[in-house]
Amino acid sequence: MSEFLNFLMLGLTRGSMYALIALGYTLVYGVLQLINFAHSEVFMAGAFGSFLVVHLVVGEGEGLGGFEQLLVTLLGLVAGAISGAVVAFVLERVAYRPLRRRGAPKLAFLISAIGASFFLSQLFGKLFNRLGNNQFPDYLHKGEVLWTPFGARIKLLQVVIIISAVLLMIFLDRLVSGTKLGRGIRATAEDAPTAALMGVDIDRTISRTFIIGGALAGAAGFLFGYAFVFSNTMGFIPGIKAFAAAVLGGIGNIRGAMIGGLLLGVAENLIPTAPWVGGDAWIGQEWTDVVAFVLLILILVFRPTGILGERLGRAA
Amino acid sequence: MNQRLNLPDWAGRAVACLFGSVVLAMMVGPQQGSQNDYGVGFRQAVLNPRIFYFLLIGVLVFFAITYQDVVRRYASRPGVRPLVAGLLVLLASYFLMRWYDPLGNNAKFAGLADAVASTSGLAPLAKAFFGWLWWVSLVVLVVGIFVAIARRLRALGWAMAGLAVVVGVVALVAHAAAADAGGGIDHSYGAPTALVGYLVLAGAGVLAARSRSETAATREFVERVMAFRPGLPLVLMGLLLGVLALVSATWFAPQQANATLVDTSSLFSGSDASGLSEAFLGWLGYVLFVVVLLAGAAAVWTRNRVVGYVAAGLAAVTILIVLVTLHDISATATEAGYPGADGPWRDLGTGGWLLSIAVFSIGAGAFVAARRAHRPAGADEARGTVTGRLHQAGASTTVLSLALFGIGLALFYPPTATTFWQQALVTDIGVYVLLAIGLNVVIGWAGLLDLGYIAFYALGSYTTAYLTGSLPVQPPSWLQLSPLWAIPVAIAVCLVAGVLLGAPTLRLRGDYLAIVTLGFGEIIRIVAVNNPGNITNGPRGVESAVPHPVIDLGFLRIQWGGNQLQYWYLLLVLLAILIFFFYRLEGSRLGRAWAAVREDEVAAQATGVNTTRVKLLAFAIGASTSGLAGVFFASDIGYFNPQNFILNNSILIVAYVVFGGMGSLTGAIAGAAVLTWLPNFLRDQVPSEDRVMWIGAVLVIMMIFRPQGLIPAKRREAELTGLAGHDPSVRPAVQAVPASEGV
Repeated sequence: MSEFLNFLMLGLTRGSMYALIALGYTLVYGVLQLINFAHSEVFMAGAFGSFLVVHLVVGEGEGLGGFEQLLVTLLGLVAGAISGAVVAFVLERVAYRPLRRRGAPKLAFLISAIGASFFLSQLFGKLFNRLGNNQFPDYLHKGEVLWTPFGARIKLLQVVIIISAVLLMIFLDRLVSGTKLGRGIRATAEDAPTAALMGVDIDRTISRTFIIGGALAGAAGFLFGYAFVFSNTMGFIPGIKAFAAAVLGGIGNIRGAMIGGLLLGVAENLIPTAPWVGGDAWIGQEWTDVVAFVLLILILVFRPTGILGERLGRAA
Repeated sequence: MNQRLNLPDWAGRAVACLFGSVVLAMMVGPQQGSQNDYGVGFRQAVLNPRIFYFLLIGVLVFFAITYQDVVRRYASRPGVRPLVAGLLVLLASYFLMRWYDPLGNNAKFAGLADAVASTSGLAPLAKAFFGWLWWVSLVVLVVGIFVAIARRLRALGWAMAGLAVVVGVVALVAHAAAADAGGGIDHSYGAPTALVGYLVLAGAGVLAARSRSETAATREFVERVMAFRPGLPLVLMGLLLGVLALVSATWFAPQQANATLVDTSSLFSGSDASGLSEAFLGWLGYVLFVVVLLAGAAAVWTRNRVVGYVAAGLAAVTILIVLVTLHDISATATEAGYPGADGPWRDLGTGGWLLSIAVFSIGAGAFVAARRAHRPAGADEARGTVTGRLHQAGASTTVLSLALFGIGLALFYPPTATTFWQQALVTDIGVYVLLAIGLNVVIGWAGLLDLGYIAFYALGSYTTAYLTGSLPVQPPSWLQLSPLWAIPVAIAVCLVAGVLLGAPTLRLRGDYLAIVTLGFGEIIRIVAVNNPGNITNGPRGVESAVPHPVIDLGFLRIQWGGNQLQYWYLLLVLLAILIFFFYRLEGSRLGRAWAAVREDEVAAQATGVNTTRVKLLAFAIGASTSGLAGVFFASDIGYFNPQNFILNNSILIVAYVVFGGMGSLTGAIAGAAVLTWLPNFLRDQVPSEDRVMWIGAVLVIMMIFRPQGLIPAKRREAELTGLAGHDPSVRPAVQAVPASEGV
């Protein structure tokens, strides 16, 4: 039981980060019907950006009080979100808008995004470093165990991550369903030319969509970087997983992305480690990625539009 | 929120230009951050006086865009385009290309110039050229030609054209003098490229002097030249290369000795070499070249079919004789124990191969002339219809000429390349060209986005390794095969795998298919890494080297593996077969069904196309091509590991296909060749860890300025533009959702 709970918490933690990244994929897919392959680098940029700010503020991060810890966490989230948003904004301006103006074929966008992804990841490597083990100052004592139900060890960090992710998702949900910008995004997703006729500024809406998705991914970058290590190539695997999560939930579907992310995170942590009693697992953790992709393929084969189905342009 | 800030147009442009120059500043330079100080890279790149150089570039670009009307008015003057082209060629030759191989890392122009400066006893002309003449003359030429164009000074134009030719010859002579003094084996192309650049500049000068029109008509000019006499450009090219080969190129180059044709002739006169070879070196070579040249010229001039084929035949015979001679001299020198000679086909200079290219080019020119000898009278009227346009597009003289010249280069250029480039040609460029033309079937023709293409490549490689007994699990002894026999098995395995993966998933739409194939690719790789039941030997890769293929027919025995060239020719054969096969496939019933499915699946189904079957076939054909590439790769490289099959490679192959021009066979080849050549080229230009960054930038820039790819598919263009013809000035209005055109 305790092992089960441990892996469940790990899965929820990872899953909530996948969900945050997947939201960016799904939002952009909604308005452009394109996979934004450079989204994983937006996530990476969030980690670096928030690191620079947090490092500047707390130094090595020793001896912070509880309230200060909360403030620094918020600061990290905001810094990550801002750096992600900036990178996503520039990305849209440089790698997407000129192609849209030319009416380029769909795959050209994909290649441009792949190019931007290579470029960003290596540029960050060149500017900061190419090492694989950069760490945030540990101001939150990330090993600290909060409480131990059934002998499981629930860590403070996991709780912080899950709560932050859930709050961000609620915020996004309200934003898309309740505000004027959200209405614009939904209208664009449903039928861009008609939306334009109704007075929605398509270019601006797309740009804002990128910014929102980028901010979420940047915040996720901070959480991920803090929980594990960060590097210029950190975006690749979470990016692929989050993309899979977005497809799993039904691409273009915002709640689908949340559910897909959580489901993927939980499944890839629970299934390979079964039966959770210590000793040898039936499958083994080296098969984590295989489990995730097999699950994805199976679900798509039996439900070709994802769990919740594609719902472009609807509130949720 | 709704109040829109209306900045003037130029403000946005200025911000973009300055931002671009800051990014460029970050890209250029050796700086890299560290874990102790994350900001150091940024400070060294941006908060540094050097930023002003980059900002200056940004400002210049800004003014060029802002005053583009003025710029354009000048740019459209006759002669400006050749001027820019020539300048670019010269800059490339001076700053990017190698001038003298024996200097190793300093083989570029600057390195040679340093070496020349510290060598005494060189001809004063060479000293002067490497010291100051090269840049002074370049500045004088560029400024002079520009003034001649802008002010219409005809005399100045002629003078500059003459000067350009003189400087070009001086460059060649100075390089020859320096190389003579240095000795050693030199395959570099810097000096000939510089000559070409100067000749282009001379052309710009002539245009400035002669043209009376207000605007240049470069395209019409080129078309007129090509159409004046079909095949003539090829013959002229052959003449130029042939003279270079006969007069100045090295024919025999064992250690530290470079012998031109004359030297080689005296070296081998009275040796054990056969009479034919001695005659060839002595006089037959010149005679044959002149004969072929005259025959080619006659064919081009008379446009007579018989003369054309006779000239092409003569060229073929001449190439054979050249090859026999090359083999003969290298073998004789080895037997006679000539110092530094080691075996047949070794130690040959560029001369023989250059002469082969030249003769091939002349023969190709004659062939083109013969093909175009009697066109049906209605050929040009057929242009108006879609079929006519397709026909026209596929068969234009320019395309045919370029393709033939490309074949000549592919056949005879690689032997002159350095070992490094031979390796790169085969293992990077060749294999990925093979993969790209396979993926082109899946993506370009059937419109299925496959992001796990490398998985079939891995399957092909591991199948070969299994069949040749290089994995921990041994095949039953009756199954143990040579790599050549593994080809059909690997193709079959990949075919089956493709069908197995495709059957359940191909009903998924574009992006879903992409993630499923991506997942499949990753699963295959992780299985190879995790090594269940010890079948793949895990991340360490295959256990023992995959053997090289052998063909043993009793009287003829070919053993691969001596050097990369053998694999190159095997690859050419495979490529030729596949290209022919795919070329036929494109226009076949199946090819047309793919086009229908790609453009509109529902409509295709309604007209009776079995869409699932058709898509499955595309998938399977693509997969088996990938498997074939896998066999080739495995037997060439011997040892490989799962790291060769990472997801990035799948993505890169997609990038090659789109970069080249989706759905176009030539495009896929060109895209793969250019993008795999680029990292090898960049090895000499930028720090190696930055190469991926530059490639990313190239991809983005290419997609911004030419989203249809290098050589877009004519068929797609014709389908989309129909009878109206392609008018680049008509652009679709801004759309949020890009035109849905297949994937």
